Amino acid sequence: MRLIGAAVLRLAPVLVVISLLVFSIVHLIPGDPAVIAAGLEASPATVDRIRRDLGLDRPVAVQYGRFVVRALQGDLGMSIRTGVPVGQEIRDRLPHTIVLAAGGVALAVGLGLVVGTGAALSRRVVVDRVLTAGSLLAASTPSYWLALMLMLVFSVSLGWLPAIGVGTPAHYVLPCMALGLQSAGAVARMTRASVRDVLGQDFLRAARAKGVAEWRVLVAHGLRNALLPVLSLVGLRIGGLLAGTVLVESVFAVPGVGRMMADAVVARDFPMVQGGVLVVAAMVVVVNALTEVMARALDPRVRG
Amino acid sequence: MRALFAWRTPEWRRLAAVLPLVWSAVACGGGSTLPPAAPAFRDRLIFAAAADATTLDPHNTTDTESDQAIMMVYEPLIAFDDSMKIVPRLAERWNVEPDGVTWTFHLRKGVTFHDGTPLDAEAVRQNFARVLDPVANHKRISLFSMIARVEVVDPLTVRIVTKYPFGAFEPTIAHVSSAIVSPVVATAKGKAFGSTADAVSGTGPYRVASWKKDQELVLERYEGYWGTKGATRQIVYRPIPEAAARVLALESGDVDVISRIPATDIPRLEASTSIAVHKLPGVGAQQFRFNVTKKPYTDARVRQAVSYAINRPAIVKNLVASFARPSTSALTSIMRGYANLGEIPYDPDRARQLLREAGYPNGFTTKIATTPRYPMGVELAEAVASDLKKVGITAAIEVYDWATMVQFWAGLPPARNPQEIFIMGAGASTADADWGLRPIFQTAPTNENNYGYYSNAEFDRVIDAAMRETDAATRQALYTRAQQIVYLEDPGAVWLFDTLFSVASRTAVTGLRPQALGVVTFERAQVAGS
Repeated sequence: MRLIGAAVLRLAPVLVVISLLVFSIVHLIPGDPAVIAAGLEASPATVDRIRRDLGLDRPVAVQYGRFVVRALQGDLGMSIRTGVPVGQEIRDRLPHTIVLAAGGVALAVGLGLVVGTGAALSRRVVVDRVLTAGSLLAASTPSYWLALMLMLVFSVSLGWLPAIGVGTPAHYVLPCMALGLQSAGAVARMTRASVRDVLGQDFLRAARAKGVAEWRVLVAHGLRNALLPVLSLVGLRIGGLLAGTVLVESVFAVPGVGRMMADAVVARDFPMVQGGVLVVAAMVVVVNALTEVMARALDPRVRG
Repeated sequence: MRALFAWRTPEWRRLAAVLPLVWSAVACGGGSTLPPAAPAFRDRLIFAAAADATTLDPHNTTDTESDQAIMMVYEPLIAFDDSMKIVPRLAERWNVEPDGVTWTFHLRKGVTFHDGTPLDAEAVRQNFARVLDPVANHKRISLFSMIARVEVVDPLTVRIVTKYPFGAFEPTIAHVSSAIVSPVVATAKGKAFGSTADAVSGTGPYRVASWKKDQELVLERYEGYWGTKGATRQIVYRPIPEAAARVLALESGDVDVISRIPATDIPRLEASTSIAVHKLPGVGAQQFRFNVTKKPYTDARVRQAVSYAINRPAIVKNLVASFARPSTSALTSIMRGYANLGEIPYDPDRARQLLREAGYPNGFTTKIATTPRYPMGVELAEAVASDLKKVGITAAIEVYDWATMVQFWAGLPPARNPQEIFIMGAGASTADADWGLRPIFQTAPTNENNYGYYSNAEFDRVIDAAMRETDAATRQALYTRAQQIVYLEDPGAVWLFDTLFSVASRTAVTGLRPQALGVVTFERAQVAGS
């Protein structure tokens, strides 16, 4: 409990630094949101008025100050492109992104553990080779390509799963696979190495000598210890997985936060970019704190 | 490619069955039962555009995706038909006084907005007051700058008086941004009008049933519509940003119609028996424009030389054959005021000759700015650069993302725009010569939309005269002259090709209305099957 409290305390400075970074970056890259919002057929007078309405004619420091004051009151501003409050937009979209990320993690961990353990315990070299090569392939497949291939196979050719959009649980299957398979490959490789490593340790031999059943030796003594490095790997990959939602949500037309940010960057919709990055950053910090808590629960040595 | 994955053998199914994740999802997703007695047509059509509508406020829109949904929900007083002729819509008939500035519109009786408000002359007056309100600052305000005042004559008659006789008045009133919104809902919702499903109300054949941003916009047939009611009960707009995914969704049957087809996929889709590609000439053209304040483009001969040096037939054939036709003027053939001046021939000798005359016998170095936002934008710049190389002009290519690109253009004084030759997609949303030439080539104090700072005294005079001319023949003669100047004599741009507007649909879909303005509407569309 104390740990979670500490993590939340750590969240505040991280968010301040991130907000400052994001704010500087969106203002440093070229591109004027007022011009893009007005469209190419608009007159300069219209563009000027839009710029004034948005407060973009003020110095950047003033703009940042206003952003922070409002953000502290829970107001992330309004989208330049659509005029919808950023907070509301994120609330509407976050569930889709969370489902995707959770599905991706579940797939990565589930498939990765099964394949990795299978490869490590397999007595037949062929099985180990096939599983290891498969995980290497999965770990090195770009998710964009994978997404299109999954769509081609499961939607266009076989017609089993819907290709795009959301609505039923089936809609999330392909995006979760596109998002999670790469991590599953990495988890499988880490699991295999870690299980192999643990299998050779003395404490397993000791357990067997005590007469503990073989499955208990493997699960309670072997896997439990092998899981630690895997867990930290998963924690580290959460950030990458959330970044992956930008691509996967765009390809599968999932109306999540990732796609919102991608569109916002193209339109230089500053408030949307800032809001999206802040929320995603907060998620990464929280998830990392959670993995830390879990690591402590698994490992008596670091249990305080 | 498809044959490779088309195995439906038992082995393949058993292999997939081991993936429990996939299997369980199929079990919950595939729970549909057999349809009852199959009707001849489905009661909904699903359309995938590249982006969601940004707003459903016609006075505040500048993008195609918003426009094509708006055209289903709202109507202007008069409208374009499929051959770009202007026909009655909310106004049954209209006439202009001999003074050329007083236009009277007689409204259709018994028209109601989706919220039940009746359409009358006062509603029309309030609409023009709304789009012209400088405080509200709607994006389309500059389109209507010629309007002096709008008066209610009687409940079904409205009079619009312009500041000067304006030759393009009718196409402007037929523009999607002239659509009439319910004054009751517009006043009640204020700035939020058009941003959510309950903040929309027009007179069109469809009303907005629900709108989840970036997910789906559902339009439902308006049963109180005054004209022929919509053919299909629901039209669903489901945006898919990724082009390859959009094509796959059409091929898998997830969606019935798509727009913005990637150029490279058009031939494959055309070859498919279950998919139809509809192409038609539009208002769009692809140009490379000159910044005429930069040397050596201050000299018209240099600009002509560049134009003659480009092998357009080869570019069209090799890069864009599936969606382009050679340009024949500064306007496209379906626009009012267009004059056929012929294709610019590929003539490198003449280009070298002109360069010698202009004092550049050994050519010069220059830059071409482009953006992948336009289909084949980068490839086109590369092709142009390689053609220019053959007459001694060395061009470096600079590639920008869209947001960076428009910043070079909008609202800058000439000294601040570093670009020399830059890509530009032209497409006047009124399909008229005035909007197609005046904002982009007439001399302006700042660049307005004249991003190349083009300036030609005779052109300015002709354009001004044409704008105030209401006699059709005189107007045509003036615009023909204007096109001769800017296309041939003192070129403001290299016109590469006219863009065809294309949409693709399942062959089960009938009654689509792709329009030259680059939008597709669905009021007559049906999907056969159950």
